[in-house]
Amino acid sequence: MKDPTRSSNGKRGLSRRSLLKGAAAAAGAAAGSGTIAGFPTIWAQEIKDIELRHVGVSYSVVKAIGDQAAKDLGFKVTMQNLDTSAAINRFITQPNSVDIADLEGWQAKLAAKRGVIQGIQAKKIKEFDNFLPIFTKGELDGKKIPRQGISPYEALYIEKPDSTELHDGVTEWLTNVPQVYNADSIGYRPDLVGHTVTEWKDLIDPKFKGKAAILDVPAIGIMDAALCFESAGLIKYGNKGNMTKKEIDFTCDKLIELKKAGQFRATWTTFDQSVQLMAAGEVVIQSMWSPAVAAVRVKQIPCTYAPVNMKDGKEGYRGWCNGMGLMKHLTGKKLDAAYEYMNWYMSGWQGAFVSRYGYYSPVPSTAKKFMTPAEYTFWYEGKPAPEPVTDPYGVPMEVAGTVRDGGSFVDRVTNISCWNTLMDEAAYMNKRWNDFKVA
Amino acid sequence: MTVSRPLVGWLYISPLMLVLIPFFVLPILVVMVASVFETDGFGGLIPTFTLANYRNVLTSALTFNLYYETVKFTVLTWFFTLVLGFFIAYFLVFHVRSPLLAIGLFLICTVPFWTSNIIRMISWIPLLGKEGLINSALLRLGLIHEPLTFLLYSSFAVVVAYVHQLTIFMIVPIFNSMARIDKRVVEAAVDAGASRLDIMRLIVVPLSKSGIALGSIFVASIVMGDFFVTKVMSGGSSASVVGAFYEDISVLQYPGAAASAIVLTVILLAMVSLILRTVDIRKEITQ
Amino acid sequence: MSAAQETAALAPARAKQRAISPSRGGRPWTFYVLAALFTFYVVALYGPMICIYILSFQDVRGGLVFPMKGLSLHWFIDLFTQVRTGDVKGAFDRSIKLAILVTVITVVVSFMAAMAFRRRFPGDNVVFSLMIGSLVAPGLVLGIGVGLLFNALGIDTSWYGSALGAQLSWTLPFGVLVMFAVMSRFNPAWEEAARDLGATPWQTIRLVIIPVLAPGLVAVALFGFTLSYDEFARTLQTAGPQNTLPLEIWSMTLNVTSPSLYALGTVTTIISFTIIGTALGAIVLMQKRRGARAGGH
Repeated sequence: MKDPTRSSNGKRGLSRRSLLKGAAAAAGAAAGSGTIAGFPTIWAQEIKDIELRHVGVSYSVVKAIGDQAAKDLGFKVTMQNLDTSAAINRFITQPNSVDIADLEGWQAKLAAKRGVIQGIQAKKIKEFDNFLPIFTKGELDGKKIPRQGISPYEALYIEKPDSTELHDGVTEWLTNVPQVYNADSIGYRPDLVGHTVTEWKDLIDPKFKGKAAILDVPAIGIMDAALCFESAGLIKYGNKGNMTKKEIDFTCDKLIELKKAGQFRATWTTFDQSVQLMAAGEVVIQSMWSPAVAAVRVKQIPCTYAPVNMKDGKEGYRGWCNGMGLMKHLTGKKLDAAYEYMNWYMSGWQGAFVSRYGYYSPVPSTAKKFMTPAEYTFWYEGKPAPEPVTDPYGVPMEVAGTVRDGGSFVDRVTNISCWNTLMDEAAYMNKRWNDFKVA
Repeated sequence: MTVSRPLVGWLYISPLMLVLIPFFVLPILVVMVASVFETDGFGGLIPTFTLANYRNVLTSALTFNLYYETVKFTVLTWFFTLVLGFFIAYFLVFHVRSPLLAIGLFLICTVPFWTSNIIRMISWIPLLGKEGLINSALLRLGLIHEPLTFLLYSSFAVVVAYVHQLTIFMIVPIFNSMARIDKRVVEAAVDAGASRLDIMRLIVVPLSKSGIALGSIFVASIVMGDFFVTKVMSGGSSASVVGAFYEDISVLQYPGAAASAIVLTVILLAMVSLILRTVDIRKEITQ
Repeated sequence: MSAAQETAALAPARAKQRAISPSRGGRPWTFYVLAALFTFYVVALYGPMICIYILSFQDVRGGLVFPMKGLSLHWFIDLFTQVRTGDVKGAFDRSIKLAILVTVITVVVSFMAAMAFRRRFPGDNVVFSLMIGSLVAPGLVLGIGVGLLFNALGIDTSWYGSALGAQLSWTLPFGVLVMFAVMSRFNPAWEEAARDLGATPWQTIRLVIIPVLAPGLVAVALFGFTLSYDEFARTLQTAGPQNTLPLEIWSMTLNVTSPSLYALGTVTTIISFTIIGTALGAIVLMQKRRGARAGGH
């Protein structure tokens, strides 16, 4: 056995032993100081061997965020991206293979029902009281947030840590910690459409025949369609997020009619397809996601995200919210690490990161700390940008003076008319949606 | 032989069974069981015995439409890959003189497959799109005045993508069959005064039958079992059988998806048996 | 008839080199037609690839489509340093390693299975049907079945466990079927000759069967590799905690997809051409050194 204090070429000086000692001292110092406002708060030595597996969709579970968390917290964070469908299936059929599950409201409902998540103690979430009340109380400035579909508030509370049913009302146990959300509407080319779009019915306007598009996800596409038909005054839905068979039939039959009349150029499946369709002028108006609008604008092509504020009980945005759920099998040190991780998430770095995509953080007060005042003014307050705005990776996106579509986040969020959902008649809806696809 | 024949057979087949049992037999049993259960709407399975799922699948017009779409793509893909594959294999076997060159040409055909299928799927857009290479080239040459829209997000695009991806699966088995053909037989036919067409009809095609059958099985299985190419390349204007149960799985409708999957498996098994009945591949090697 | 007579007279001498044609000298017209078809096929095959190569040289503003933005090696650098969303390089490494493992196992197991099928044995029909079943069963649903099974048994889904097995259940039927076709050209007389000369069964396999079947084994390897590398449906639920390349890219399509994918395509092409060029060059050199051996048998 070689003398460990001598390296293979006989150099003396820094021996392996002293190197290890020095490293341990440095780690201890780092643990004591923390790199962000007091993280980690539990002794780094205890948790440094832990690995948290965070699984979810690519626009919510971003590798860059995981890397930063690992850096600040001292333990390993593995982000795995799957699409929405694969993710929920994984949580339910292989719950032991995931630690932190990325859950939309309706997925939280499902996960609770299947008993794969554990209740999160609201007390242990540091920033809980700073969460926007739309999540914690279902209202903002006294106005109740619409609950068509499954709203994040509705999906938030359970009575006991192992309950399988959601609880209507505030309790101390959560199904998930909301971490990113947005309000979706229509994207359009202001130069090719010719007027400002504020109503969903423009998407099905025969004037844009062959130049419109919706997306190919049944549960979301059908709600976008519902918003269009309601806006055009063709039908009034009881709950766009939970339609009856008759409402589904009406919606799909109308969609088939529109398809046969040639209204839709395509139903897009991938993000970049939606960007492409708009940027190439193949469509002038379509269901779109916020970062896609931004991506079109980066190409110096005008694209606006329509501010479809509610009026006359019609219109409104379609909202969604993703949160972090704790899988049931987490205990002991790993559970402590998971709480650390969630608290880090809400402490602002992540909030600022997602804001630059055009998404929102549920805790704007902490996100604000990590954004420049100019950025915050642009993204959250809906005021003209005092200086050029960049995307999360530093690529310049908007020139100074541009106003964010839809105004301030308060404007947008209070105008959400329905939330992403899982309907009772989901199987029937899938069937009819496929009828639309083969038409 | 001190070891009995059947035992040797089983010894050799055991690794295959070692994979098939846990990764096909057991899971397909799980799926079969799930297909006769009911769902509580939230991904839970209620153990009962009901044929309602099968009834729904087999009696709905949607199923017929979906199979029609998928079979349409399968037949078109099969036809084009067969024609292309057959003549390319013929070229490589009979017209290329140096085997090294044949191998080299063949390997050149395989290089694109080192790039993941999904990347090539994405790259169809810059090739076939309105602002893509082909449209730009045609416009610049003055052959068209407006970009062709049918190139992308259409049935044409779906078939092109499939043929692009699957011709190699036809070339390899047919090449293998053709390479077996004893050139002396052909020489004899030539000496006897046979025309090129006769040689093709009476010698080459019959002797390549097993290669063609194999290639057809491969192409048909892959296209019928795929959802992703149709979804992306058709721009959502077409649906596919597997695409439909992908969506059912997205909302955790396991029994319905399971029933559809079993139906598809049975149909494909029947199809493959039909092909194998015309060309008994197994007989070719058993003694 | 003079042309045919002339061909017949020359046949023995040229039998090894002649393309089949009743004409004399030079190439028949069918050669040009087929060569054109082949060229068209290669061009069509590389069409999307060319877009990939061109677009991979964009600068930081680049997207996935034309018009091209700038000229730089930015995305190649990004590919190796992983700044943006997605773990492309990591997924690529994992996919390649898994694909190589799947390829090796597929070749060995397919070979063994085909050897088994040479004689009838009790249950051989059942095994064959199961194999075809594994080929045609939809991978999406099978993957969930595997996931459920592993979860019920308390085993974790993992890279070299469930993902490997699921991919093998897809590649082995292909491999075995190709081996059937390949083995049918194998003349059992050679095997018997080897036995008569005193070779043990293992020696017979190693020195006679495998070398003769080598091109077929390469075909199986090719299928195994490409099927594994692109496999998506079965691996979706069985990959465990880390994604393969197709899964990673598919998940990326829900968000801005970065042109580092194109850089990856360009890099793999360069690598494959280098490998092929080196291998073929080595063979040419070896043949030259061994002296001229007429191409073809």
